[in-house]
Amino acid sequence: MAQQPNAIEMRGITKTFGSVVANQDVNLTLRQGEILALLGENGSGKTTLMNMLSGIYKPDAGEILVEGKAVSIDSPQDAKRLGIGMVHQHFKLVDVFSAADNIWMGKEKAGFRLKKDRYEEIRSMAQKFGFDLDPEKKVRNMAVSEKQTLEIIKVLYYGAKVIILDEPTAVLTVQEIQKLFGVLRRMKEEGHSIIIITHKLNEVMDISDRVAILRKGEYITTVDTASTNEQQLTEYMVGRKIDLNIQRPVVEKKRPLLEIRDLTIRNDEGAVAIDHVSFYIRGGEILGVAGIAGCGQKELCEAIAGLRPIQSGLMIHKGDNIVGLPPKAILEKGISMSFIPEDRLGMGLAPSLSITDNMILKNYASAKGPFVDRKGGREDALRVIQELEVVTPSTETPVRRLSGGNVQKVLLGREIKAGPNVIVTAYPVRGLDINSSYAIYHILNQQKQDGVGILFVGEDLDVMMALCDKIMVLCHGKVMGVVHAHKTTKEELGLMMTGALDLSNKYEDKPAGYAKDTNISAQELEQLQRQREEKGEEE
Amino acid sequence: MRLHVVKRDHCPLWKKACLYLLAVLSALVLGGILLLAMGVDPLAYYSRMFTMGMVGNKIAYKSMENYLKVFVPLAVTSVALSLAFKMRFWNIGGEGQFIVGAIAAATVAFQAGPVLPQGVTLVLMCLAAMVCAGVYGSIAAVLKVKFGTNETLMTLMLNYVALYFLTFLGETKADWNFYLDETSVRPIFANFGKTVSFPAFPIGKFGLNLCVILTFVLGVLVFVYLKYTKQGYEIAVVGDSAGTAHYAGMKVNTIVLRTVFLSACLIGLAAAFKVGTAGILSTAITDDVGWTGIIVAWLAQMNTAVIFLVSALIGMLRYGSTVAAATFSQVDSSFANMLQGAILFLVLAADFFIRFQIVPVKKGGKANGNG
Repeated sequence: MAQQPNAIEMRGITKTFGSVVANQDVNLTLRQGEILALLGENGSGKTTLMNMLSGIYKPDAGEILVEGKAVSIDSPQDAKRLGIGMVHQHFKLVDVFSAADNIWMGKEKAGFRLKKDRYEEIRSMAQKFGFDLDPEKKVRNMAVSEKQTLEIIKVLYYGAKVIILDEPTAVLTVQEIQKLFGVLRRMKEEGHSIIIITHKLNEVMDISDRVAILRKGEYITTVDTASTNEQQLTEYMVGRKIDLNIQRPVVEKKRPLLEIRDLTIRNDEGAVAIDHVSFYIRGGEILGVAGIAGCGQKELCEAIAGLRPIQSGLMIHKGDNIVGLPPKAILEKGISMSFIPEDRLGMGLAPSLSITDNMILKNYASAKGPFVDRKGGREDALRVIQELEVVTPSTETPVRRLSGGNVQKVLLGREIKAGPNVIVTAYPVRGLDINSSYAIYHILNQQKQDGVGILFVGEDLDVMMALCDKIMVLCHGKVMGVVHAHKTTKEELGLMMTGALDLSNKYEDKPAGYAKDTNISAQELEQLQRQREEKGEEE
Repeated sequence: MRLHVVKRDHCPLWKKACLYLLAVLSALVLGGILLLAMGVDPLAYYSRMFTMGMVGNKIAYKSMENYLKVFVPLAVTSVALSLAFKMRFWNIGGEGQFIVGAIAAATVAFQAGPVLPQGVTLVLMCLAAMVCAGVYGSIAAVLKVKFGTNETLMTLMLNYVALYFLTFLGETKADWNFYLDETSVRPIFANFGKTVSFPAFPIGKFGLNLCVILTFVLGVLVFVYLKYTKQGYEIAVVGDSAGTAHYAGMKVNTIVLRTVFLSACLIGLAAAFKVGTAGILSTAITDDVGWTGIIVAWLAQMNTAVIFLVSALIGMLRYGSTVAAATFSQVDSSFANMLQGAILFLVLAADFFIRFQIVPVKKGGKANGNG
């Protein structure tokens, strides 16, 4: 192997965006037939570096060698010709096209006419690599893991020898990740060289041969996976020692704050998104919600916040029914909801407005007179910046100029400053690096200790098992059971998420999701019963 | 040496100002070349245009008054459009809303002018124009809110509905049609300037029209409205992210309707100012302010104060070119349109240089390979 030239060699790569240095004099070597993990916190320049390999950006300085020869990669077409393929974090697929057409699209000599045999060709190619893919299926009907498979096949179809995967596991379940890793190992055996970007350490240890670490745009080192451990990698990545344990303080249990009984919600398309769901949150407790993306998490959050009408069921907050209340009234009851969508800015924050203006978003209307109270907003902004250590030039900086972690701190800071008693938070650490994530967990734990009830919709099972008290698993809008976080295993949760395991009727003494010391009055239960009967008659 | 484009993260104010100034100057140079090709001395033409014929003129104050007549509707319309644009509601129906406002104002002038005191008539004219234009503008907003239609198309098409209605009024000789001059056999619009007209306050020979004062007051009000009030804040949030506004418990639909109504209302007011000083309707009553206003609002990046500055400049081009056309008969006053276009394009180009810079690619890097 040693005689073979390296698959990729990047020397002294520098890339700046304005005054922001994304990569400073970075060196990276990818050997033939190895899996190299590229590790680094958010904003450490991993994606930028890879984009220079795939022809999206051009380095300001430095050179790239492919199989020992210096090359200039000016466009994605150049990268394709050199046998470099990248699977981006956000899939680059056309929703209304079939799988085969998404692959064909990039073909240079595809001819004028679409031929029917393209399906056959792609089907046989997928089989050759051992993938299970229907070439005629439209992308919009695909699950996330299928889309990813398609992206990988697309890269292979164009003869890529070097495959770059940008955070491929972020959107997958445990089982799907194992399947992906199987695919990667098989590709490695066939002589492909692979770079995988991730910031999940257990995955790095599991899949890679070597690990290259970037920190703040600078190249730190490359180590053999076999001779390192998670603690050492974290230190390389963060630059100092860090405690990887998430705290789970024990707090005395209080009466249920928010009780959801038999809740049914439809999504925007009119399909049932949440199907007869019952659960409750106590003060001083974090209830995790696990599930594959799009299993009704968003609809549930929106319904609790009063942003989405419900079909049937009860939502009782401290004994008061909140069904049908306007969002503002629910806010005033102390129920705060923050949802971090995939683009991280779409909901909850106005990106072009300043931190101050974002602080007053939920309480601007309570100021007296026709004017907004920016003075109060500025004070709140200063407090949040100080307490949560937000890195920003000033309170008047537009939120979109902040880095991901700081944006989320601003959002969470605003929600907490209102002094809520129930926090519904979905994906609060989405895309955050280790440092920022731990800061957010810390904030949530503080709130929990203050007696706030927290509904934590998350993606990372390791984190949820460490942080939450209990975890509710959703699958296609149905509850698959609520388990104690310290008693369950990742495998059990994974099986529940896919619907293979149903623990919802595990305790037979009481129906699942009903609190013993409920605040729901007999009258309200009667009303619920009536609702059910009416529905029964309809059906 | 290879060059490539790099994003700038900060551009000092003086540099910005210089770049914009350079853009305007380049546009003038471009126009100058064209003038030379037509055999006109550019310097003579430009000096005539930018002084608007006021230098060495005994009735220079008249020129100023006429210039302000061009400036007022343009400034008010641009400010009005910026309200909707700030909310990312692309109201390109300024022309139509202006015409509807103008018809409403003229209706009041014809009907109430002879019976009511002039002051009352003027107030009624303004109110009628604002309400009618506001309602007309709201059509597109209601359709957007209810059915999700595209406001750009709707407002655009409604422009023509209004324009052809005005043309119909102007060309239909009938007993009911009080808009026309009864004494004329051919259908022409009647003049009501003798009965109703906005008063002017004399400063020497120069008459400062009430509309000019109102325009500046309006500018301050809109500035405060956008910057300091809750409603202005709502506009900014909805414009930035409707999803966020919804999450914050704002009634997005109400805000859209209210803002578009207000935007169209102010365009109606601009029309009332125009009709109230011209004293007559015409199919060219808008003077294209509905279109030019869009350019002004964008050039000014929705900043109320800058809108006044840009309106003053564009108004100068438009009025100055008509003045210059009297001296230089071979240059039509539409030369102003060409200049306006050139300025817009070059300012956009300047924008590019404000956001990006071009630097040479550095070769090679230090060789400290990692094995």
